[in-house]
Amino acid sequence: MARITAGIASSHVPLLGVAADTGKDRDAYFGPIFEGYDWTRAWIAQSENKPDVVILVYNDHASAFDMKIIPTFAIGCGERYKPADEGWGPRRVPDVEGHPDLAWHIAQSLILDEFDMTIINEMDVDHGLTVPLTMMYGAPEAWPAKVIPLAVNVVTYPPPSGNRCWALGEAIARAVKSFDGEDLNVHIWGTGGMSHQLQGPRAGLINAEWDNMFLDGLVGASQKLRSIPHIEYLRETGSEGIEMVMWLIMRGALGRETKALHRHYHVPCSNTAIGHIVLEPVDDRVPPSATIEGNDAAAQAAI
Amino acid sequence: MTDPRDIHAYLGAFDDIPGTRVYTAARARQGYHLNQFAMSLMKAENRARWLADERAYLNEWPLTPEQRDAVLARDYNRLLDLGGNIYFLSKLFSTDGLSFVQAVSTMTGMSVEDYKAMMDAGGRSPEGMRSIKGKY
Ligand SMILES: [Fe+2]
Repeated sequence: MARITAGIASSHVPLLGVAADTGKDRDAYFGPIFEGYDWTRAWIAQSENKPDVVILVYNDHASAFDMKIIPTFAIGCGERYKPADEGWGPRRVPDVEGHPDLAWHIAQSLILDEFDMTIINEMDVDHGLTVPLTMMYGAPEAWPAKVIPLAVNVVTYPPPSGNRCWALGEAIARAVKSFDGEDLNVHIWGTGGMSHQLQGPRAGLINAEWDNMFLDGLVGASQKLRSIPHIEYLRETGSEGIEMVMWLIMRGALGRETKALHRHYHVPCSNTAIGHIVLEPVDDRVPPSATIEGNDAAAQAAI
Repeated sequence: MTDPRDIHAYLGAFDDIPGTRVYTAARARQGYHLNQFAMSLMKAENRARWLADERAYLNEWPLTPEQRDAVLARDYNRLLDLGGNIYFLSKLFSTDGLSFVQAVSTMTGMSVEDYKAMMDAGGRSPEGMRSIKGKY
């Protein structure tokens, strides 16, 4: 049996990895950013909050995927992943251990639930995945949780809609619930964002008001974030703010209603607004699958 | 669920955002080899060959003359116009030893110092920067 006990969202700016790896994380510039994660580091170290597995939603930034293949939603089912060389040598952080049993179960369930996932057995993982691990865990010898990477295309338009991301989260929740292997405490993390634009004359755009509206919308029973169109992310939060659709996968997986345990917002980190929130599902109610296979006992039994 | 989208209206709206090139399929097609060239700089041996002779290295890639000139000039706004994507182009400026802030600031017409000061003061305001037609 496995259950999703928490959702965490966090920016994944590469410079945060550099700061942590070079011992600058408590200096005048980075200190206020990292201090906002101290609460989470203490919370996640407590045995009742410690996840066995993290489903880590992120995007690859021209590291594992180039323009040859562009999967919209891809799930890592491998045994382990190495930190990618993003052009300046790989980060010296531990390898990321996967959880193939749960990952394959989720992949199969999602496909029967009509989310046609790309399955990845081998890849390297870039800052999008390793920086959130650093923010939550610091610099341990080995990462304390196994990780199921869930990569989303937010680079080449169109990325998936916010609504589709939310619905994928709901399908992930159903998949985790139907796992019949070992008892697992599962987290789902959504990463990227918040407002930032890394290109063109409008680069440097930050919209603290909109970002905080988005953080507010993740808490409680509201569903209003799922209908935000891409153009609104682009206009209000900069061209790279679209990464926030990945947070909606996390939110969808927490079911009907959430409670916020911790929240942090800081401007700037490099070109980006840092946002971080820790959420708990209020109950585990998720809408049932609307699909034929999702409701077919024989199909489900075959997973 | 959401209403079906008019794909033409969806794509057309992107041109209404000031100072922004959304990386659409059309740009991805136009910039395919440009971005794959930049991607090749992820490998140390390619970086060494590139640094030894930029023009010779570029000649191995089927780029347009405009793309080639813009790469040599490190004209990032022009590279965006020619189908470049910033995550791929970052391999190029990283090879030059530039950080994201340094490289990104070159696209804004501001000095690195002024750009950094703007970021430290809370970033560029979205006021008036959301829509060309709507002027808001
Ligand atoms: Fe990112």
